[in-house]
Amino acid sequence: MFSYVFMKILEMRPRSYDQQMDKISRGRVRAAKEAVAGEVPKGSHVLEIGCGTGELAGLMIQRDATVEGFDLSPSMIQTAKERIETENLSDKFSVSQMGVDGMDRFRDEQFDAIVSTLVFSELSDDERRFALKQAKRILKPGGIIIIADEVVPKTFFRKILHTVIRLPMLAVTYLVSSSSTRPIPDLSGELARAGFSIQKEIRSHGDSFAMTVGIKEKGEK
Amino acid sequence: MSFLKTLWGLLFRLFPCPTKVGLRPIGNPGPDSPVLVTCNFDLTVKRLSRLLQGQDLWLLVGESKGVNVWCAAGGEEFNTHSVVSVVKTSGIADKVSHRTLILPPLGAPGVKKSEVEKQTGWKVKWGPVWAEDIPRYLADNCKRDEPMKRVTYNLKERLDTGLSCLFPFYLFFALVFFLFFSTQLTTYLVVGALSFFAFMSLVPWLPGERGITKALFVDALLLAILLTLEFITDSDANPFRAQLVIAMIMIPVYGLELGGLASTMPSDLDPFLARFGVKAIGNVEFAGTTRTELLNRFKILTYDREKCIGCRSCSEICPQGVWGIDEEKRAMFVNKDACTACVGCITQCPSAAITAKKPS
Repeated sequence: MFSYVFMKILEMRPRSYDQQMDKISRGRVRAAKEAVAGEVPKGSHVLEIGCGTGELAGLMIQRDATVEGFDLSPSMIQTAKERIETENLSDKFSVSQMGVDGMDRFRDEQFDAIVSTLVFSELSDDERRFALKQAKRILKPGGIIIIADEVVPKTFFRKILHTVIRLPMLAVTYLVSSSSTRPIPDLSGELARAGFSIQKEIRSHGDSFAMTVGIKEKGEK
Repeated sequence: MSFLKTLWGLLFRLFPCPTKVGLRPIGNPGPDSPVLVTCNFDLTVKRLSRLLQGQDLWLLVGESKGVNVWCAAGGEEFNTHSVVSVVKTSGIADKVSHRTLILPPLGAPGVKKSEVEKQTGWKVKWGPVWAEDIPRYLADNCKRDEPMKRVTYNLKERLDTGLSCLFPFYLFFALVFFLFFSTQLTTYLVVGALSFFAFMSLVPWLPGERGITKALFVDALLLAILLTLEFITDSDANPFRAQLVIAMIMIPVYGLELGGLASTMPSDLDPFLARFGVKAIGNVEFAGTTRTELLNRFKILTYDREKCIGCRSCSEICPQGVWGIDEEKRAMFVNKDACTACVGCITQCPSAAITAKKPS
């Protein structure tokens, strides 16, 4: 999953983004999104943080979900709107252009599930804390949050290995797009501190990628 | 590490150098302390922290992808969302009792004041252009005099922007000399550096509007000196031949994109590259944005007096003094030629009276 840092380059061309992401990750991004979609209960009302072109939303809609998505990038939202148009998804999928700071506009206990893939690694510490606090507020009791993202490996050896392999890719990405992603140091810790009970965390790819599922326990505000 | 980042910011400003986004207390701020916003370029935050020693205030560091305020505002990395996001997610609202943000005015091309106010509920004031003026600005109840609104390009700034943007070129030529003319490497290192300091010092007094004209003027002088020396000494004995030739190569290199470095001149290189079909290098764009359309003269700055609501956004924000106010309190051009196409006035104008339009 080291090559996720290349995402910053691909984001410059939203139309071919999904295809290219799949290529650089050798199908892993698609697999990760399928895994996330598989965790969402059938027929859920879902919020997707950073919906991009709407690829994950499409997978969840196949499982009878209705999805509200938002993304900061106007070109990604444009591409998602084109998808809604061509695939006739207007009653299942709606999108808006905003960042996580706009999550305060949602009503309390509105969603059954909140999902986000490869977005949290691009947010500031404050933005992640804010997003999780809002997520807790707008989820129904018993609702789940699923976050799949680049993470910092746990053991010292893996950490070093991760840094060494990632460094040259980071350099290339930096030179082309002048930006990078930041693997999250403690994803499940952040979810727990926001008041979610961690249901499971599946780590893969040399411990550098994680899918974390949290639940808002019933009776929690 | 921190020192390395400072050095990187000083010498390689063409490459971003981000620092942590979020709230930073300066001194011992309390609920009444002012809240200032800046970008997340490492060197900017360090310099601000140094210049603000002795003040008690809250500094909100917004996302600009590690680029300085003006470049990032022009390149859209430092935008309305950068400010809105850090205001809403940093928890500053719980730390202070007032709701006033002080924004860097060079952020105006990217950060729309009225939109920040709408999305956050905070009132926005423009601070001084120069960080050095912040203590005086705060002491004077956030009032700005004319110098606080204008950019200048004095010796210190010329050396600062020159060093930070031209050093990679100096290094590149050092490599060329090392590989192909290694006997002249030391001469190059000395002459290359001296030409830089001499040229940047003399810029305001050299004839010509553009960096390249100024540089070619110096080259003509140097050529005259070279030929004179060749003439009065034996053909093989001219002791300054290498030095003069090196200076003649390097000065146009330094002068070529002076407009892009200078806060008071429009870029020359951007329209040049755009003409040859180079639309962008990395995420630096040369075509397609309002700023580049103006620079490339595909569009011109247009003002529709009928639409002006007299809010003075343009004259408040223009760092070059392009805008003034007429007797009916509406905007008017007072010095249109000074425009460097930063697009601050276009971004801020709430009634779309100021736009970039194709010349008719």
